Amino acid sequence: MSASETLVDSAAVWPADSMDVDEAVVSNWFVREGGHADAGDTICEIQIEKVSIDVPMPVAGTVTERLVGENDVFARGDPLARIDPD
Amino acid sequence: MTQQVAKRELTMSRAMVEAIAHEMRESEDVFYMGEDVADYGGIFDSTQGLLDEFGYDRVMDVPISETAYIGAAVGAAQAGMRPIAELMFVDFFGVCMDQIYNQMAKNTYMSGGSVNVPMVLTTAVGGGYNDAGQHSQTLYGTFAHLPGMKVVVPSNAYDAKGLMHSAIRDDDPVVYMFHKRLMGIGWMPAPEGPKTDVPEEDYTVPFGEAAVKREGDDATVVTLGLHVHRAMEAAEGLADDGIEAEVIDLRTLVPFDTETIVQSVRKTGRLVVVDEDYRSFGLTGEVVARVAERALDDLEAVERVAIPDVPIPYARPLEQAVNPSTADIAEAIRTVHE
Amino acid sequence: MVSVNTRKRMYETMVTARHYEERLQEEYLEGKQPAFDISAGPIPGELHLAAGHEAAAAGVCAHLRPEDTVTATHRPHHVAIAKGVDLKRMTAEIFGRRTGLCKGKGGHMHLFDPDVNFACSGIIAEGSPPAVGAALAAKKRGTTDVAVSYLGEGAISQGGFLESLNLAAVQNLPVVFVIEDNDWAISMPKGRVTDVENGSQRADGFDMPGVRVDYDDALAVYETAHDAVERARAGNGPTLIEVQVHRRMGHFMGDAEGYRPKEDVERAKRLDCIERLADDLREEGVTDGDLAELTDRAHERVEEAIEWAKEQPEPDPEEAFADVFVNPPVRGEIVSDGGADDADDLEATDAEPRESDADDGGEDR
Repeated sequence: MSASETLVDSAAVWPADSMDVDEAVVSNWFVREGGHADAGDTICEIQIEKVSIDVPMPVAGTVTERLVGENDVFARGDPLARIDPD
Repeated sequence: MTQQVAKRELTMSRAMVEAIAHEMRESEDVFYMGEDVADYGGIFDSTQGLLDEFGYDRVMDVPISETAYIGAAVGAAQAGMRPIAELMFVDFFGVCMDQIYNQMAKNTYMSGGSVNVPMVLTTAVGGGYNDAGQHSQTLYGTFAHLPGMKVVVPSNAYDAKGLMHSAIRDDDPVVYMFHKRLMGIGWMPAPEGPKTDVPEEDYTVPFGEAAVKREGDDATVVTLGLHVHRAMEAAEGLADDGIEAEVIDLRTLVPFDTETIVQSVRKTGRLVVVDEDYRSFGLTGEVVARVAERALDDLEAVERVAIPDVPIPYARPLEQAVNPSTADIAEAIRTVHE
Repeated sequence: MVSVNTRKRMYETMVTARHYEERLQEEYLEGKQPAFDISAGPIPGELHLAAGHEAAAAGVCAHLRPEDTVTATHRPHHVAIAKGVDLKRMTAEIFGRRTGLCKGKGGHMHLFDPDVNFACSGIIAEGSPPAVGAALAAKKRGTTDVAVSYLGEGAISQGGFLESLNLAAVQNLPVVFVIEDNDWAISMPKGRVTDVENGSQRADGFDMPGVRVDYDDALAVYETAHDAVERARAGNGPTLIEVQVHRRMGHFMGDAEGYRPKEDVERAKRLDCIERLADDLREEGVTDGDLAELTDRAHERVEEAIEWAKEQPEPDPEEAFADVFVNPPVRGEIVSDGGADDADDLEATDAEPRESDADDGGEDR
């Protein structure tokens, strides 16, 4: 693990309207483990009840681990992925 | 540490939208009309994000007047533009079919080739989520039957993007039928398979070329849309029993790639055609007829797996009884293999 | 002047319809958390709920008899309740059960109850031509029956509706067209899809009366519908009514309504047609206790229907192959008269399903 490892924080993308909901599902991953993405690229999509949210890459780098699988449930604040920044 | 840099993957809807956005950037002549395509982004995400980039003038919400706006797309196309018009569910074709098959499809021929209609008609097809008789059909055969329309049916994101580029650039009218279950919408989870690597640059998937998704010597399975994925699952399951099925994804119905199917049947001698459309007078019969015309001597056994000739029912056990499942496909492959 | 009893009846209808939608919403969302999955939960398919539309149903249907025909839309439950559709069997249909109105074949957008001449359809403006047809039949047979076609304001630009207005007018048929204007055609605000201010103006081009009720006051709807229904029964032709209603929920239950300003949702909830009628009843001297009694009875009826529906059996898969024609051959075999017991059961239209229905369907193959 790199010292500069970054986590993708699910709470950072949680919409204000959905603050009464504590759980969501990862509906789609767009980057595989080991894949590279630029800052701002959509790396996955999460579904909070009826609302679909695109999750952006926080910094340019490599997605080293997806921490929540596709169609799996996670809690608000759970990290979604580990990133090794460029 | 060296890491393999995987390419990005996209859902089918995002791949389709990427092609549309690219073509809209390239030409002011390309624009999109439909119900709930602007702010909503398409009920099945077919236009998600386009409004932000192109505005209401080019991503147009229209009144619930399909005859008018699909006919208007015909007129705009004949005037030299490249409109894309969306019919929200293919089931709604009943209210506007006149403009589709008497204008869009026929004007080129009736004008002796002096008029062309370079438009795309996009439409959502398919069942599997219990939406009953007026919202679950595919109607592939209906559109492919009537002359004058090219008809394409992507089964995955890579093809969805390439076929959309081809459709918009084509000088003829193209009906682009996307299966709701394959789009990758959060509220309607897709099966494994339709999400694929998609290049960022533009590319075309040519019309009239079926794709061999899996090679095998024991039976040829010809299908399209959602059922490509069910056929692949069935084939993988049968491989454990030593039966190797070849799975062919038609991708385009008009033009139709007879050659790929015939070549496969010459090898396997056994044909299974799987369709989510109605059984009689449709796609399954057409595929069997084409093979019979070209390779009758090679044909040892045939099975058709399709919706029996009833409207799509609502309750889950009823819909499951009529919509071909992976098990139904496996059973048909076993039957022709015996 | 609308009698207090009539007002109370309408109130009970409206409370029933509201509670029905709220309870269906709860049932429908079961199994759809934390992510909404249209295929999960006890109720199949899409669900379009009509909370906020109740006045348009109660105020019009209060004038109708079972012989009168009503065609409703993809958002049909409140109208069905007001028309007197069998609530238990309607609910069983929505849950996809064998003893439902349509044996689980139609579902919530395609409910048929011939006992009270109710039908609905999932495609915009599709109910208008059949309503005209029902009215034509009434005229040819010399009855005083009328037909009512419900539609949303999004449907007023659809050819089938406009052609129906013309046919009804030129044939002087006993039809009442009722537009429920909830301001939204899914995500499309009215102003973006029509240049007329009111849907009732569509009547002008067909030389028929067009009346708009500007707010969903059940009494105003009742009085307007009274004139239209009487006019139709008397053989004086069709009327177009538009009622302003309010969409308290999304277009369908998976609709996140990202396109809709929050204030608009709040406004729709604030302008509550049921509260309005309750205030009116209080002014007429009806006590809160009386209103609570009506409400309790309505809620009890809804709970009973849902409970009953959930206990009903699902259809046998084989039933998928019956009913495409009357007395259908099942999977290619002709059902002979002598052996048609099962087919008869599949055709059963009893208000209360037979006990044996669950066990013996679909053995013909």
